[in-house]
Amino acid sequence: MSTSSGDELHDQYKDLFTQDGVLLKTSVGRPVSDFNSIGMLCIVQNADGTKCIEWRPNDLITIDSDTQDQEWAVVNTVGRRQRTLSGNITSDYANLRARIIKIPLDDLKTFRITRNNQQMQFSTKPGVWQNTFYFQHGNAEIFVAYLKNHLKTAKTRHDRNTYMVVEPNDESQVLNKSFAELDIFTENTTDVVWNLVSNFKQRPYETTLEAFSKLTDIVYYGNEDVNGKRDVSEEVADLLTKSMSALEDTTSVTRSDEYEVISVKPTLPPRPCIPRGSPLSTEKWDALQDADGRIVEVEGVKQLIFRGGVAHSIRSTVWKYLLDYFPWKMTHAELKTLQKRKTEEYFSMKLQWRSVTEGQENRFSEYRDRKSLVEKDVNRTDRTHPFFAGDNNPHLAVLQDILMTYVMYNFDLGYVQGMSDILAPLLLLLGNEVDSFWCFVGFMEKIASNFDMDQAGMKHQLLQLQQLLMFASPELAQHLSQKDSGNMYFCFRWLLVWFKREFSHIDIMRLWEVLWTGLPCANFHLLICVAILDAEKEVIISRDYGFTEILKHVNDLSMTLDVDRVLSSAEGIYHQIVSAPHLTDQIRIVLGIEPLNLSMSTNSDPEPSTSTLPSTKPSQVELKEGNGNTIFGQEMDEDVVVYNGLRITIVTKTVWALLA
Amino acid sequence: MSSRKKLLLKVIILGDSGVGKTSLMNQFVNKKFSNQYKATIGADFLTKEVIVDDRIVTMQIWDTAGQERFQSLGVAFYRGADCCVLVFDVTAPNTFKSLESWRDEFLIQASPRDPDNFPFVILGNKVDLDNRAVSVKRGQQWCQSKNDIPYFETSAKEAVNVELAFQTIARNALAQETEAELYNEFPDQIKLNANDNGRNRDGDNCAC
Repeated sequence: MSTSSGDELHDQYKDLFTQDGVLLKTSVGRPVSDFNSIGMLCIVQNADGTKCIEWRPNDLITIDSDTQDQEWAVVNTVGRRQRTLSGNITSDYANLRARIIKIPLDDLKTFRITRNNQQMQFSTKPGVWQNTFYFQHGNAEIFVAYLKNHLKTAKTRHDRNTYMVVEPNDESQVLNKSFAELDIFTENTTDVVWNLVSNFKQRPYETTLEAFSKLTDIVYYGNEDVNGKRDVSEEVADLLTKSMSALEDTTSVTRSDEYEVISVKPTLPPRPCIPRGSPLSTEKWDALQDADGRIVEVEGVKQLIFRGGVAHSIRSTVWKYLLDYFPWKMTHAELKTLQKRKTEEYFSMKLQWRSVTEGQENRFSEYRDRKSLVEKDVNRTDRTHPFFAGDNNPHLAVLQDILMTYVMYNFDLGYVQGMSDILAPLLLLLGNEVDSFWCFVGFMEKIASNFDMDQAGMKHQLLQLQQLLMFASPELAQHLSQKDSGNMYFCFRWLLVWFKREFSHIDIMRLWEVLWTGLPCANFHLLICVAILDAEKEVIISRDYGFTEILKHVNDLSMTLDVDRVLSSAEGIYHQIVSAPHLTDQIRIVLGIEPLNLSMSTNSDPEPSTSTLPSTKPSQVELKEGNGNTIFGQEMDEDVVVYNGLRITIVTKTVWALLA
Repeated sequence: MSSRKKLLLKVIILGDSGVGKTSLMNQFVNKKFSNQYKATIGADFLTKEVIVDDRIVTMQIWDTAGQERFQSLGVAFYRGADCCVLVFDVTAPNTFKSLESWRDEFLIQASPRDPDNFPFVILGNKVDLDNRAVSVKRGQQWCQSKNDIPYFETSAKEAVNVELAFQTIARNALAQETEAELYNEFPDQIKLNANDNGRNRDGDNCAC
């Protein structure tokens, strides 16, 4: 299927990054008929080495698979069915080509993200946003992250979502720019920075230290790029390190508590070994309810479950809460009514597909296809487990009924492979069709994006995983990308069904209930991946595993993993990451922690600074996480929740005790 | 691209969900059949050494998920393929109709140098079942119309024609591989990563 135009495309330029599901909202000088059409936004390298942003309508088929990013991005933009139906690829090609929008990076002046990561606008001259794109999956930040690999940008002070393109792309310029933006120095910033470093010893101690602290803050917390490396040249870092030790030699005051010597390759703090707790017991669970059955201390419950899971005897009850079937604050009486209502709702949906006649079915291919797909998968779901084993096992019929009813509940999503894996442990535990259905609905709410038609959710997670691994286990991440495995595809199965295929039923129950708590951070399931991979680091690197061996090795880990050990090290890694001094905003965002730049830009004084060295420096207070726990771990307001005479120790407290 | 001592043939098995891709692979490699295989999620592969024309070659057989939406991720595994096996279920006409799009999809994603002559093999599986819905003739006709693709009727369950089919797959893949040595079938990618040099050692990407 390599058309001549496809080959042409190959020779002329090359996609560096593509993102699908991007709608063209407006574009100056384009016919309105082009607007609101779906396509993909790409970063393209031209034959002459210049780069541009390019938007292509989806109907335009490009045949290209030569870069690593490409293998993720290109193919999915056009579904298979479309492709075969359209058939005539070349005839409309010229027309479609004319609809491509190109924005040369050299011309790009400003761009901004608006509407909660859903919209991006580009400008090549001041005052006009020429092109506006809408990101269907609300993931414009990914595009920005990649774009920043090819541009130097600075955020504008008045609007943290607006980026100015800095030119020329020179690192020292960027550093200067940052200084200028922070208004630390009113003099020529270049001179100040370099004089500060080189004439260090000649300047009065106090002033110098203060100025120096600014610089350190910027080195630590400013100018992060997507890879977590900072836009500071090694020379500057070296110089700072030297100057710092010189300072310590010549003065009696040490400030190493506040400002550490910069190393070019930052390492994580040691990993705390955090023991797992005991499961939430019946007694504790009962004690956490009021007389009418409301769960009062929800956070406390979640903390306990995060620490030790749930005792098997009360699992079937607690899961209904964790999976948002039962609201925490409902009384027993209210829950009874709810359950009754939900039962009716379930059976009315079930009746819908049950009453489809054979004749209807014959004329309803979409329905028929889904039904047959469900059937095929149900028949091969956990058949080795006694609960589902044997011919004509009645539990298979229940699986089938629930999944078919889910098709009616969410026809747009329908049935996707992997769902039967998700459902099986729920049915095994709950034993009841209606409860299993509603718990399944709740679980699917949490992971629906795993089953996107275009797999955008999976791709996003794999990218985030790669970013986390790069931060937490850079050596391994580097090895993987050298071996064509940087796309983390070998973790696909883990993520799609939340490790269901990697653990026994009893272990997966433990893992899932811990993950459902949403503690200690967003995307903790990605840290589970990091923990498992990190434990295999030695093997993978020392044996120089390549693409195929990595995949095989990871697949073969199935059923060999210790769930408690994995959970414990994932939690340890979490604390390593959040207490790392070089923690980047990118990682903060992945983990659902408020990015630093946000607070810095909102707190920064809009007025030009009046003194040469303002006395207010970014303080430790600003390093706090959104929830009030400090990163450097002193103030913990709510370490312990006491309820009904029960002391519930909040995770972080334990951790800091262990770290101390 | 000097002559290679050990030949590795990369074979990709494609086809709709539930046609028996995993079962065929396991029957060929492990001589076993189980009706307890789970639906494939992601990708996996098995290897087997076979002798083709007095040469020992290692077949690396790749199995991926059959549901359409997962195919966009398959491209990572198609690269460097020496042969593509398309499977359908003789009791399910839809899976037969999908062959065309599987073939097209593979050619688009793997983009071999000479798509017209890239070796495919078609397997009509589950001939042990009674409720056959795609006739032998229909299968053969389609294959003939597509540049005479070899066609086999197989049963992974009863090990019918599996060995024979994979022998043909190996032979055709080997022919492809030999040609690839001459023409460098899959040109090296331009890497964004400057220090990438380990790729060729994996033996899965190019014929070296």
